[in-house]
Amino acid sequence: MFRVVGGLTLVALAAGLVMAFGVAPREVTQGNVQRIMYLHVPSVWVAYLAFAVVLVASIVYLARRLDGADRLAHASAEVGVLFTGLTIATGSIWGKPTWGTWWTWDARLTSVSILFVMYLGYLLLRGMIEDPDQGARYAAVLGIVAAFNIPLVHFSVYWWRTLHQPPSLMKPGPGTMPGVIVAALMVNFVAFSLLYIYFVAMRVRLLRREAEAAA
Amino acid sequence: MVWKDLLVERRSKETLNALFFFALLLLFVFQFAVGPDRERLAGTLPGLLWLGFILTGLLGLGRTFVVERENDCWEALRLTPGDKSAIYVGKLAGNLLLMLVVEAILVALFGIFFNLDLAGVVPALVVVIGLGTVAFAAVGTLFAAMTSQVRARELLFPVLLLPVQAPVLLATVKATEAVLLGEPLGSVAHWLKLLGAADVIFVTVGVLTFDFVLEG
Amino acid sequence: MPDNWGFVLLAYGLAAVVLIVYWRRLVRRERALEAESQPAARRT
Repeated sequence: MFRVVGGLTLVALAAGLVMAFGVAPREVTQGNVQRIMYLHVPSVWVAYLAFAVVLVASIVYLARRLDGADRLAHASAEVGVLFTGLTIATGSIWGKPTWGTWWTWDARLTSVSILFVMYLGYLLLRGMIEDPDQGARYAAVLGIVAAFNIPLVHFSVYWWRTLHQPPSLMKPGPGTMPGVIVAALMVNFVAFSLLYIYFVAMRVRLLRREAEAAA
Repeated sequence: MVWKDLLVERRSKETLNALFFFALLLLFVFQFAVGPDRERLAGTLPGLLWLGFILTGLLGLGRTFVVERENDCWEALRLTPGDKSAIYVGKLAGNLLLMLVVEAILVALFGIFFNLDLAGVVPALVVVIGLGTVAFAAVGTLFAAMTSQVRARELLFPVLLLPVQAPVLLATVKATEAVLLGEPLGSVAHWLKLLGAADVIFVTVGVLTFDFVLEG
Repeated sequence: MPDNWGFVLLAYGLAAVVLIVYWRRLVRRERALEAESQPAARRT
């Protein structure tokens, strides 16, 4: 089963690369640097997906005390942090040639950084509590608080950055993008989503085996 | 609940003195760090004020449940019959009161030492500080309970609390900035609404999840 | 607009390294656990 998902993921990733480099055209204003977006945007999508899963799994755990839900939350948070870090890194690398600086407190990078630190704290909390039951409960509570904070982060950072400031190169998002670019993005969305599922599934299985070994 | 109130009051009095002292020290630090440049000081004042609130808040709130843990009262809290969220609300109210008192003192000190004209803006300031502090105390009380047992609690508490407070901090500093410039509250209505939403969200989540925190 | 392929390579290279390292970490820990449980299974 895992091999199938893994294989599919590889194929999708390969397709994504082909789309990003072979099919998608050289972007008019930014040049080939824009191709980093095929990494950056799907990464951010996966991160949000991951944290949404953490929220749902956390609620389910508190409501039903299913160990599987706890493991899912843990795994999803870990993979989420991974992709959040990637989002920040790729965003920064894209920013250097585009804005001339490695770092800028624009809306996206700032929000994603806050997310990164929040869920890193989640992983830290899990690491620091010895009692597995207590760790699961506390992590679930934190997972819920963090998730509800996400919209607050979004609005606050967006208002902070765009009020009294021209929204020039602010959001490199969809809008009036040519169809080919959208298609390339979509393929990479799918590839990254599959990668997320694969990683989370592996991580959950590892967690379950670790729990069984400890028992 | 009465016993708990007494406990809160006793702790508050001894904590209040220490926090007052800490706030005073912060003022000195701010003065040395930013004071000499008058213009820069004026620009950073709202940020410094909230920095002061947060640093003192971290110290004060971090200890919310330490007394219970040290005196083995945690079990007593756990076994209290009835809705455990009442404990959360009680602690929250206590923390809120503590923070508001410290903040009032800090604002007064800021006004004195940095020569601010606070005459007309006090009501608006009260609104902004009130809204921001509720959010801080709500999450802080919850996280204080969660970290009270961890060995590195002084480290984990701020690490967990600060990222969550980032949007609230943004909102309060922006709103305070406007208020100190004499602008009407209406001009920062969106920030106030965000703070209001944060308050509702955090208190609700705190009330709903405190039971689970108290179990262990 | 210069093409900045260096940055593109850096981004994709970094992503590849991070993802592969994570994947290998998972696989390695999985194999270690399996190796631990095997001797016990064989004994019973």
